[in-house]
Amino acid sequence: MAGRDETPEQGDETRNELQIQPTSARLTENAMRGKSARKRLTGILAVCLRELMDELGVEPAWLPESRSRVELSEILAASVGFDGENLRGTFTLTGHPRVFTRLYPFAMEHAQPDLVDWAKELANQTIGRFKNRIFAYGLALSVSVPQSIPAEQLRVARTRKRIKIPVAIGIDDMSLDTWLELDIGPGFKLAEQPVSVNEPALPERSLVLFLEADNTQ
Amino acid sequence: MKTTVLVVDDSLTVRQQVTAVLAAAGYDVVEACDGLAGLDALRACPGISMILCDVNMPRMDGLEFLEKLKGDSCCTAPVVMLTTNGTPDLIARAKRAGARGWIVKPFQARLLVGAVRRIVGDLAKSIAT
Repeated sequence: MAGRDETPEQGDETRNELQIQPTSARLTENAMRGKSARKRLTGILAVCLRELMDELGVEPAWLPESRSRVELSEILAASVGFDGENLRGTFTLTGHPRVFTRLYPFAMEHAQPDLVDWAKELANQTIGRFKNRIFAYGLALSVSVPQSIPAEQLRVARTRKRIKIPVAIGIDDMSLDTWLELDIGPGFKLAEQPVSVNEPALPERSLVLFLEADNTQ
Repeated sequence: MKTTVLVVDDSLTVRQQVTAVLAAAGYDVVEACDGLAGLDALRACPGISMILCDVNMPRMDGLEFLEKLKGDSCCTAPVVMLTTNGTPDLIARAKRAGARGWIVKPFQARLLVGAVRRIVGDLAKSIAT
C-alpha cells in the first residue's frame, strides 16, 4: 500500500484504496542498535511519548526523576496492559490533574474534560503507538482496555521478576510520570532494528479508505 | 435533514472530540460507549448514515461489533474504524468484515470530516442510482 498525501475528497475514483500518511510519522531509531532488548524497548517508548507530546503541542523535557510534589490523593493514574510472545507488561502514567488539563488538545469552553478518562486515553494512545512501532521490530502485541487506578492503589510492584522502567517528563513546571513494567520471558526476541515487512503498521493520524469492501473470507 | 453519524468509543474524551468536529461540520452525532451500546443505538436510531467505531473496548470490541453488523441485513450503514491500532492483521480482519476505512488516532479533524463526507457522499450516490 503506497502512501499518498491527499485528502479523501481529492481521491482517484479508480483506486480501491486511498491512504494518507503524515510524512514525519516514522522516526529513525538508529541510536538503539547494539543495545539490550530492554534498552531498545525503553527507547521505543521514549520515541512514542515524544511524538505524542509533539502532537499535543507541548515540548517535553526528559527528567532524571519525577518532580511531582503533590499529595498522592491528588494524583490521576491510568494504565494499560499488553501481551506478546514471551513479553508481558503494563504501561502506567500518573500526574496532577493540571498536567492532563495542559495536555488536553481541545478548547474547554464547551465542556469540562473528564480528566480520568483523558488519562486513560493518553495511556491508550501511547501504548497503541508503542504497539504499532514495535510491530516493525517483528513483535506483535495485543493491548488491554485502559483502566484508571485509584491513587491509594498506586504503587510499583515489588517483584524481582518484573523490570520497571520509569520515564519522567517535564511539562512546563509539572511532571508526567510514566513507567513501563516488563515481564520478559527467556525466549524473547526483538530485532535490533526495524525489519522489512510486507505490510507495515499504519502510523498515527493516517487514514485508509477501502473504496470497495473486501468480502473475501 | 442533517446526516447522523454514530460514534462508538469507550473514551468519553474521544467521543466529545469527534462529536465537536462533526457537529462543526454540520452532522448530527449519536454516541455509544461500546459495541453492545452501539447495537442498541442502531436499533433506537434507524436513520444513522455512518458509523465511526473504536476497536479496543470493553464488553464488545469494535471488530466483534462489525462482524455482528455484517450478519444483520437491517443495518447497512458503512463503518470506518477509529483506533490507536494500525497493525495489518486487524485492518485486514476489519476489511473482511466489511469496514469501509481505518483511521489511526489521534485523528486529524480535516481528514476525519473528509472521510465522512466521502463515505456519506458515496452512500447518497448509490441510493440515487
